[in-house]
Amino acid sequence: MNRPAPPDRQLGLWFTIAAGLVAMTVWSGVSIGFSISELVCNAPGGSRLLRESWPPDFAFLPRLIGPFLETVQIALIGTVVGAVIAIPVAVLAARPVSPNWLTWILDRNFMNILRTLPDLFWAMLFATAVGFGPLAGALALSVFSVAVISKLFSESVEAIDLNLTEAVRASGGSWLQMIGLGALPQVWPQYAAYVLYAFELNVRGSMVLGLVGAGGIGMILETQRANFEYERVAMIILAVLVVVLLIEQFSIALRRRLT
Amino acid sequence: MSARPLPAQRWRPGFASWTTLVVGVLLLWSLWAIEASPERLARLPSQLAQVLGFFWPVDWDYGHTRVLPAIVESIQLAWIGTIIGAALSLPLAILGASTLFPWAARVVKGISAAIRAVPEILWALYLVPIVGLGPFAGALALGINSVGMLSKLGAEVVESADLAAMEAVEAAGGSRLAAIRLGLLPQVLPELMAHWLFRFELNLRASAVLGVVGAGGVGGLLLNTLRYRQFEMAAAVLVLTVLVVLAIDMVSGSVRRKLLRG
Repeated sequence: MNRPAPPDRQLGLWFTIAAGLVAMTVWSGVSIGFSISELVCNAPGGSRLLRESWPPDFAFLPRLIGPFLETVQIALIGTVVGAVIAIPVAVLAARPVSPNWLTWILDRNFMNILRTLPDLFWAMLFATAVGFGPLAGALALSVFSVAVISKLFSESVEAIDLNLTEAVRASGGSWLQMIGLGALPQVWPQYAAYVLYAFELNVRGSMVLGLVGAGGIGMILETQRANFEYERVAMIILAVLVVVLLIEQFSIALRRRLT
Repeated sequence: MSARPLPAQRWRPGFASWTTLVVGVLLLWSLWAIEASPERLARLPSQLAQVLGFFWPVDWDYGHTRVLPAIVESIQLAWIGTIIGAALSLPLAILGASTLFPWAARVVKGISAAIRAVPEILWALYLVPIVGLGPFAGALALGINSVGMLSKLGAEVVESADLAAMEAVEAAGGSRLAAIRLGLLPQVLPELMAHWLFRFELNLRASAVLGVVGAGGVGGLLLNTLRYRQFEMAAAVLVLTVLVVLAIDMVSGSVRRKLLRG
């Protein structure tokens, strides 16, 4: 907003935009009942909650190992299944290598629609369809991973060197050979990086799937919260923090090696 | 993909096949652990098709009497969350730039990593008992999480900024604050604003699920309609959410591209 610009015309425009943004903020703030005073008034309640949460119940930790393992397993299944399905989805949505216009436009829209729904929505849907439990979570994260990976990956495929794909075509290769030999070998490193990124997101996402009954650590969290066992809730959140950070560091280190 | 093997030298085959093996074994182990037997997996398609059939016809009445107001609430709390995130992350982004404040940067980055590691819905779990059920708790949760992500991304933007302009202001006798305001902000604001908008898109998706813990927005409706097997109503929630999010993504995406092109 502070960028130098010809002031005469631009100033009015910026003023209108700023007024619009302020109006949007005020309208939203009033409608959702945003109030600093309420926050201040409730601060004692908040500090009591924090005191109840401290110290975290470390004796509870051994009972968390199983659910944590399940959480990571859900994330792993979701990532692998999603990563495999994302390859064709991404290739068909990449303009220069997509076989025809209709496939491209359909696949592109399919990808965009997939991306609009958050992971917990998928989890609720699958929990309804296949019953509560980790399978619903794994399916939800598979769909979510397809959405994340295919979007990023199709952008990489769009940026490949087309001379190679043309060379395969010119020497009589089929469309599949063009993709397999000309296009994909150029983008495998990016692909691996996106898969790892999706795995990070999935680990974080799988922590809360249990809130809607889709398996993992979230289920324990939900029961402890319902019983107001805040020392245990704090323990779970602390453990989530540590596990997520560890896996993130591991994944970042791997990604650095890849690119 | 193709019948013939890939040209082996391009992508270290030893590493690739090694990883595939490890991932394959881990996958099978995980599938076994969550009891996803082949028979159960084979039943999936018919199960899904059957449930999908229940979603038709969409209950449009429920759509505009209940779902649209809830979506508007989602948008509002995503917006407030973004505003909180943007406002608090701006100073943190500058403090978090290792090129400007090497010592403070480490503290800021550590805090923002910790904030990001906890999913927003867990923040909401704590905020709901404090400020009560409703969208206010949701907006605060999104705000906290946004601060984490935006200060990290913002710090990276500030780190890549050209420091010559700041030095020029200081050389002309300006204070550090003046150098930041005149030499730094004009350079980085468009990019920061693009990140804010992107975060708004993410917040909109996140706000849609906050309802699950009673923090407002459209997620609670989906949870309840599915729980009571009111599939036509659930369909209205899904269809309207997809449409509204798509529309907002499109607008926000084009504004972001405009901001980045300058």
